[in-house]
Amino acid sequence: MVAALLNLALLASAVRLTVPILLTALGAVYTERGGVFNIGLEGTMIMGTFFGAAATHAAAQALGGAPSALAPLAGMAAAMGAGVLFSLIHAVMSVTFRVDQLISGVALNLLAVGLARFLNILLFGVATQSPGINGFPPLAIPVLRDIPALEPLATGISPVIPAALALVVAGQWVLRRTVFGLRLRAVGENPHAADTLGIDVARLRYAGVLISGALAGLAGGYLSIEQGRGYLEGMTQGRGFIALAAMIFGNWWPLGALGASALFGYFDALSLRVVAIGVPYQFITVLPHIATILVLAGVVRRATPPAADGVPFTKEEG
Amino acid sequence: MDAIVELTGITKRFPGVLANDRISLAIAPGEIHALVGENGAGKSTLMKILYGLYQPDEGTVAVRGERVVLDSPRRAIALGIGMVHQHFMLIPRFSVAENVVLGAEPARGGRLLADDARARIAALAEQYGLAVDPDAPVAGLSVGEQQRVEILKVLYRGAEVLILDEPTAVLTPQEVDDLFANLRRLRAEGKTVVFISHILEEVLAVADRITVLRGGRVVGTLAAREATKAQIAEMMVGRPVLMELAISPARPGEVALEVVGAVVAGGRGRPAVRGVSFAVRGGEIYGIAGVEGNGQSELVEALVGLRPLAAGRLVIRGRDVTRAGVRAIRLLGVAHIPEDRHRRGLVLPMDVWENLILGHHGRPEFGRGPVLDRAAVWRYAADRVERFDVRTPSLATPVLALSGGNQQKVVVARELGFAPAVLIAAQPTRGLDIGATEFVWTQLVEARAAGLAVVLVSAMLDEVLTLADRIGVIHAGRITAEFPRGGASPRDIGLAMTGARPGERTA
Amino acid sequence: MGGAVTGRWRLALLQAAAPVLSIAFGGLVASGIIVAIGKNPLEVYGLMLRFSLTRSDSLAAILLKATPLIFAGLAVALAFRANVWNIGVEGQYYVGAFAAAFVGFSVRGLPAVVHLPLAVAAGAAAGALWAFVPIALKLRRGAHEVITTIMMNYIAAAVVLYLLADVFRDPAQIGTPRVRTPLFADSARVPPLGPALARLGLDVPAHSALNWFLPVGIVACAVAAYLLGRTRFGYEVRAVAFNPDAAETAGISLDRIRFTMFLASGAIAGLVGLSDILGFFGYFDIDFPKGLGFLGISVALLARNHPLGVVPAALLFGLLDRGAQGVQVFAGVPREVIAILQAVIILAIVVGYELVTRYVRVQRKLEAERAVAPGEPAPVAGGG
Repeated sequence: MVAALLNLALLASAVRLTVPILLTALGAVYTERGGVFNIGLEGTMIMGTFFGAAATHAAAQALGGAPSALAPLAGMAAAMGAGVLFSLIHAVMSVTFRVDQLISGVALNLLAVGLARFLNILLFGVATQSPGINGFPPLAIPVLRDIPALEPLATGISPVIPAALALVVAGQWVLRRTVFGLRLRAVGENPHAADTLGIDVARLRYAGVLISGALAGLAGGYLSIEQGRGYLEGMTQGRGFIALAAMIFGNWWPLGALGASALFGYFDALSLRVVAIGVPYQFITVLPHIATILVLAGVVRRATPPAADGVPFTKEEG
Repeated sequence: MDAIVELTGITKRFPGVLANDRISLAIAPGEIHALVGENGAGKSTLMKILYGLYQPDEGTVAVRGERVVLDSPRRAIALGIGMVHQHFMLIPRFSVAENVVLGAEPARGGRLLADDARARIAALAEQYGLAVDPDAPVAGLSVGEQQRVEILKVLYRGAEVLILDEPTAVLTPQEVDDLFANLRRLRAEGKTVVFISHILEEVLAVADRITVLRGGRVVGTLAAREATKAQIAEMMVGRPVLMELAISPARPGEVALEVVGAVVAGGRGRPAVRGVSFAVRGGEIYGIAGVEGNGQSELVEALVGLRPLAAGRLVIRGRDVTRAGVRAIRLLGVAHIPEDRHRRGLVLPMDVWENLILGHHGRPEFGRGPVLDRAAVWRYAADRVERFDVRTPSLATPVLALSGGNQQKVVVARELGFAPAVLIAAQPTRGLDIGATEFVWTQLVEARAAGLAVVLVSAMLDEVLTLADRIGVIHAGRITAEFPRGGASPRDIGLAMTGARPGERTA
Repeated sequence: MGGAVTGRWRLALLQAAAPVLSIAFGGLVASGIIVAIGKNPLEVYGLMLRFSLTRSDSLAAILLKATPLIFAGLAVALAFRANVWNIGVEGQYYVGAFAAAFVGFSVRGLPAVVHLPLAVAAGAAAGALWAFVPIALKLRRGAHEVITTIMMNYIAAAVVLYLLADVFRDPAQIGTPRVRTPLFADSARVPPLGPALARLGLDVPAHSALNWFLPVGIVACAVAAYLLGRTRFGYEVRAVAFNPDAAETAGISLDRIRFTMFLASGAIAGLVGLSDILGFFGYFDIDFPKGLGFLGISVALLARNHPLGVVPAALLFGLLDRGAQGVQVFAGVPREVIAILQAVIILAIVVGYELVTRYVRVQRKLEAERAVAPGEPAPVAGGG
């Protein structure tokens, strides 16, 4: 049984499934460190899935069909751009208008679903899925790939995976060791203090939200381009919310989010592979969701969010 | 005198309030200048204009002889003006160094140069005698140390003019002495200091010149050497200050509240109250004097049931309520004026009439069964508003629209409205002008005369000395000394606040 | 004080104008999309309104569509009023509908007077049960209820799918693409509203499924409004929502209020699907209407979380939905445009309400300052 649980193919699958949660969780860290709660990341991911697939399809057609990395690259860029634009709405609502951030996020999720359906109809004639597309040509780790036992782990690697890991490491470094990271965290802890020191609270909060949009869009793009090979309605399956749980579990640090996302990715992988141990498959598909609840219930108050998270910042009138 | 900073004709209006009315003020370079006035006189507003947080509606500011427009703190900082706020603007989770350099970080290509920061801070600390550990998280520092960090913040940015807003409000007398030594050192190094205060002894002890504000206007500027306390007080208030409070001799009755060996947890696992015992009888005021942050808040919360007692016993009107909750304690006739009326005393968006029954909305006279009888509540509220002279356009006005004094009146009217047996008043006159303060004091004295047992927790020495029959001084979670009315001088109490026993000399 | 009274009216008018302006703004944005796909917005809106309002079967269709939305909106509004975020209405109504369905097809031989209320009670109980886990975790462990309720939605879908497809599937339907429960007993069906309306002079087409759940929903909203506005409990809910610290100091149990409202929200949510399955279908199948939970959030926001506002808000969404049908069939505009319209309206509403609230607050402050008699020193702004 242990061997089954640590099966290399399973682990490889877990790595692949961790990526969308990881990227979104990294984005969530940035927006919440800046003090803005973004529950609309699920909707942002949806936009990423759609635009990623659509742009890849369009680019592939324009390039005449020869498989290359250009089409998916265009797709990922489009996914990221869509994420940024979509989260811009949340930024305007939350930072400029200081609306309740929860409601803004929920409304954006609703908008994303309708928008995706509409655009899909517009472009492809049906509401719920796009034509199939090809992803990036897969990579393989140079030495390890020749070892047959390690084959599942060392080959067939999407280039997005190392990119995501690099982003996480970079993200940790930026947050800890750069001026931007320090100021962003300050703005999430005590925006008034930052304001009195001449720091532009609004600008930093916008940056946090837009970064989260870019990363969530990227996550969505990965889902549709590399995993699903096409857009399918509902393919995000609540990962935008699971990512928030990963962020909490990771104590609002990128490296922590990595560990937590890996946990959820593992459950995701498990759910695809564990067949007929007597448990109906429907329950297996929601294993990550059950895990999320358990994590949130177990984490208790040991993790403390940034002090000003979710609180709109009002400058003193002057 | 070539003023280093000159404000001319500054006027600033807020909705319904004229905070600054054509104020003109010149600060001389290298002096310690005190800005004095009652709560609400306009001192903070004026300094915030100087720091660029507010923009004046009329008037000009000149720095070193040149007119400037201070449209943001950044501008002010660039001109060498720095401000240490009354409520510290620090980030508890960050280290001292991170707090000091935030916004002016030494960096290369976006990367923080942490060692540079540490070195610079150490040098400044050395130069001005402000001992701090740059890597210590601010959350673990004492109040005095945190203030030093705030001062370092300002010096780090090259401030020549330092503005301090009520710097002594949260310090023990010893820490105040340290602060003043630092201010003199700053002056010796050529800095200019402007500090806001309403505590006259301190102002006279350290300032070179004193400007008095009242009602948004400058009343006058005098040299500290020539001024007397009575003179300044009169300028601040506009009339002779002696408030005649008719305090009848104490006639204490039964013990209404008794706490024995109370231990209450504070934040971060350390106990905030470490063994407090006292008893209060009906008809007397027991004052708990102490600088904020010595466990008073936690003690009060324990007395009203908001915080559990980790050890010890609480007995109210003969009943052991050590494990009881807020509701049970209230039902025993305990009234509570919380120290933060916005947080615990009022529901700001709700109307005046609604706030007047908060906590008493379950009473049979206010309705039948689950239904609230609005007419009955309204009648009651109208009576209260009149009795306590609450200034409000109507009973249906949301209480957030009222002034601080009127808001506190609503709290007091409510708490005293149901013939309580015990009253626990925590910092009841904080943030109030003199009229409202007089009102609250009168209510406390009347409550005492009516036979209530009153516990008065206050950081204002005047208040405790005037009102209390017995005074307990709290320091570091313990009652370190007790005095009867008239049995101690302000100096004795001040010493006890630092933990010294009466008769002891501090180093 | 004459000035204060007219001022009060002006503020009230402003607050009423906010939803209207938001709808207009939503319409504007949707117009842009309509133009982008090559149609004329005015034509489309005109068609939509004509279809929704003038056809004889439209009124019934709108009312029918609005019925579950009233329950959904009320459920969300109840929770939001206590500042607890029940995003789990979606999952709660699935399990509620299935529970009611179970009572409907598995119990036989009961008179309708017992069977129908039993089914309804089962729905409410299941919904409340589904809400129990998130609120218990929130109160005991501090788990964020937004995320846990959303997770419960996914789990509900999985559980119901399992029960529907693998446990309770109607054996008579095996071998066909239809996946549904056995048919309900007639005693569990809710009677149609048509006859009663006919007696009032309103003609409802014979095939309409409009049923008694509509008046039940309206009454539920009225009762909720009364409870929240006129009782001590409602007073406590308001205090807890506006300032939990002050409420706690006043001896109000925060946990009790939040728990009660959340469970009530879940119970009402459990009833959302009943109009459809007990009134129209008579069975529970795999094509059971989805998404009503999220529409409920939209309805509640439009109603500003006020139970009485839920009914007109639900009617509006019913109207939009009906119009979307017409617009799709007759003008070739995909109905998703209306979904986008709804989402934009929500965004606009939220911004509008925020701005109006802030404006009102400032006006109230000015009013209070003016109430000070002349000659008195001006009240201070707090902090010198």
